[in-house]
Amino acid sequence: MEKIPIEFSINGQKREVYVKPNDLLINILRDELYLTGTKYGCGIGECGACTVFLDDEPVLSCLTLAAAVDGKKITTIEGLAKGNELHPMQIAFLKNAAVQCGFCTPGMILTAVALLKENPNPTEEEIKDYMRGNLCRCTGYVQIVKAIKACATEEKTIDQLAN
Amino acid sequence: MAEKKFDVIGKRYDIKNIGKVTGEEVYSCDVNIPGQLYAAVLRSPYSHAEIKKIDYTEAEKMGVICIGPDDIPDILYNERIVSIPDKTYRDRTVLPKDKVRHVGEAIAACAAETEEKAFAALKKIKVEWGKKWKPLVTLNDTMDPQAPAIHDHVYLGEERVDVKNNLACERNIDVGDIEQGFKEADIIVDETFNIKRIYHMQLETKSAVCKPEANGGITLWTTTQGIHNVRILLGHIFDIPLSKINVKRITLGGSFGSSIQMNSVTPICVALALKARRPVKLVTSREEDMYDHSSYPLKTRLKVGVKKDGTLTAAHCQVWVEIGGHNIQAYPYLGCVAGWFASLYKWKNIKYEGKAFYSNKAPSCARRGYGSPQINFPVENTMDILSEKLGINPVHFRLQNYVGRGDEFWGQGPTIKSIIRSCGVEEMLVKGGELINWDKRGNPDKKSGVIRKGIGVARGFHTSGTGGPHPGEVIDYSGATVKINEDGSVDVITALMDHGCGTWDAGAKVAAEVLKIPFEKVSIDNGVDTRTTVFDVNTHATRGVYCGCGAIKFVAEKVKEILLNYAATLFNDRPENLTLALNEELNQGVVYPKGLPENYKTIGEIAEYAHTTSWGTIAYTSTLRQKNCPPCFITYFTEVEVDTRTGEITVPRVVMMGDSGTIINPELWKGQILGAYALGLGVGKLESIPYDKITGRLKCNGFITDFKIPTTIDMPDINNIIVEHAHTYEPTGPFGAKGIGEAALSAVASSFGNAVYNAVGIRFHELPITPEIMLKTLKEKRNRREN
Repeated sequence: MEKIPIEFSINGQKREVYVKPNDLLINILRDELYLTGTKYGCGIGECGACTVFLDDEPVLSCLTLAAAVDGKKITTIEGLAKGNELHPMQIAFLKNAAVQCGFCTPGMILTAVALLKENPNPTEEEIKDYMRGNLCRCTGYVQIVKAIKACATEEKTIDQLAN
Repeated sequence: MAEKKFDVIGKRYDIKNIGKVTGEEVYSCDVNIPGQLYAAVLRSPYSHAEIKKIDYTEAEKMGVICIGPDDIPDILYNERIVSIPDKTYRDRTVLPKDKVRHVGEAIAACAAETEEKAFAALKKIKVEWGKKWKPLVTLNDTMDPQAPAIHDHVYLGEERVDVKNNLACERNIDVGDIEQGFKEADIIVDETFNIKRIYHMQLETKSAVCKPEANGGITLWTTTQGIHNVRILLGHIFDIPLSKINVKRITLGGSFGSSIQMNSVTPICVALALKARRPVKLVTSREEDMYDHSSYPLKTRLKVGVKKDGTLTAAHCQVWVEIGGHNIQAYPYLGCVAGWFASLYKWKNIKYEGKAFYSNKAPSCARRGYGSPQINFPVENTMDILSEKLGINPVHFRLQNYVGRGDEFWGQGPTIKSIIRSCGVEEMLVKGGELINWDKRGNPDKKSGVIRKGIGVARGFHTSGTGGPHPGEVIDYSGATVKINEDGSVDVITALMDHGCGTWDAGAKVAAEVLKIPFEKVSIDNGVDTRTTVFDVNTHATRGVYCGCGAIKFVAEKVKEILLNYAATLFNDRPENLTLALNEELNQGVVYPKGLPENYKTIGEIAEYAHTTSWGTIAYTSTLRQKNCPPCFITYFTEVEVDTRTGEITVPRVVMMGDSGTIINPELWKGQILGAYALGLGVGKLESIPYDKITGRLKCNGFITDFKIPTTIDMPDINNIIVEHAHTYEPTGPFGAKGIGEAALSAVASSFGNAVYNAVGIRFHELPITPEIMLKTLKEKRNRREN
């Protein structure tokens, strides 16, 4: 199958890659760009571990054709922090012990960031409803929900985390 | 015992592992080696069929590397080498040489420049199948005397064992006089329960990356709970000296017991890499993973006798389990099931009969609790049934009969016996009852309305590791190197794995506490491997903190001795005249002559002095075998609401009480209990992984949505969850600590089942209680009443 060139912004940087028409975004991110923070959990849109932002909207990269992101903007978990300054959601996950094995965490954090963008002050029920497509087998979700609640109510920086 | 004050232990810190939130954490599936090939595995479509010939000539013409059974050393092994060799059954090779025994069993593999090409090559492999047999998917199928034999013979240690009627192994244990015990009983109950297979559904599927080295050895990154056992087994299979095999310790994306054994894809990846003489990467799909392992199911018949005053007199426990196509660890499983059963209550006289049968399914293996949740459900339901018959409050009945402080117990099976020295059972039962308003829960007969509420209690435990006063059937020791670096920071170098439960944070805290170093100056990070570490058996059996961190404490104390010896030279004093303390103002560890804190030297200064004067590194390496495996206890009070219109059961409120001795990582400890609770709700109301009787395939076809696990909406609201710990101190544990991980799952489904009974007056003997089953059972109950 012939490869076609696509150009897109990945975590703020323009990249050109050659992809096959049937290449999935997750594989291009992981195998071509070595952005392995995007995780494979099921490959068919059941677990949410491969969530990335496509033009600031959360999508499942295992169900997205790479060719479809031509000219668009992709943000992965690696692009969420600003330099050494973690995103408040990343800090909230660390502070609230919302991370155990960490395999679902990148998808969880990105989905949670998307939730707060849509709804800055969600109720617990709204958080649970929004997050139900992201599976976690370690935490029982409670500390994840707590982290998202905490993030919605307080902004924390990496400096505060260190103290 | 009163709780002790510590500098670091028990303090709350943010999780150290920032890489897990930035995406920089590396799991084995994230490892890439320049020039690597990608592997794909050909798997059996049949559940039980003879392999006559596998021909990959056409595939090889595509320029790919292929392996089949003939490329694999003729070594029969068991992928789990935690038990001593004499008690280890061996029935498999890397790829089967004669026949397949379950759908999805690997039969050949290819490695190519791309994964796509590897999969295309699989299609060119010609498999000539011989005789095919009907799949044996249920206990009844496989126990049928006419059933085809799944294995003709296997090996137990070096001894050949002929397999009769698919019986893989059995264990029978007698304590006291069971007949006399039942004669003394006023009430006898005899009930049968059935817990089904469950898939682990750890988020990370199994993977391996293998790089062949110029010296004939290999370097390996693979999903595992113990790097040393993987190395030992690969050395045995491929006849490579262990010094030439290096297995890297790498972060694990959840496991829950599914990687205690070396994963089936690990040696396949190694075989491909050795043949290709190039690095090979093998990542399995979710569907492949579902066909690779699951938990052990358990059918239990439990007969218990009790006197009118609530004293137990006898228990006869019979269990049956179908274990899949290979026997990974059914023998120790049956021993542990006996232990979990026997060490919950003072039955006095015990008869235990356990039988494990081969079946044509994915091999069963440990899954968080190693049979404890499976046997806890029958026991804790039976305790409630007995309480009701006796007219005794179920909490009081448990308090009357639990195995506790001062009692002998053998949680890890009959060969590992020890005495319980710390126990918070009473505190948890009493306080938990108060927190949930136990006395106001009401009687199911008095409940009416569309939504019925109920409260149930259940308690359980797990051992902290598998150590005993005398070594038993299980290998159990851990090791570490601890060194104070030239700037006074500390490296803890250990093969101990962390599943995400906080084992590494606990290890760092233990070292920090001994050496009086601030937590943030201790590193226990990845970057270690089998070559740089001494042995650690595995992070399993809830042994991470008690055994793994116990070894770190042991080694750190030796380092402390060296440090004080060096300091004594510096102070021109005796080591015993010196004090080591954490100076909070300086945020550093300091040493000073007793009574003269102002004359301190920081640990950094001492380390630097030792360095510049060429005294040497302040370091020590050793291993430690714990001589106990103290039980960590759990008690749950679960409230349920049953919607009698839809059959749906929700959990609006829960009280979770845990006894882990000293709590080292408070938030992560809570996380263990909360996570286990969600897993247990899955067992109680959602999960099972049935196989089709005709095709031998999974009915869920490898889809998570058809397997169904709990999501965010299944847990109670944050404010309706109470997690508290008992105030105990384990004298044999590092700083008084025991484990928690597996204990936390043991009693969840049992408390759920007992709560359902309290809500609707129906005792379920099989899990999960899905809405369909609930509706059907409610209807049957109504019909019985009307008739």
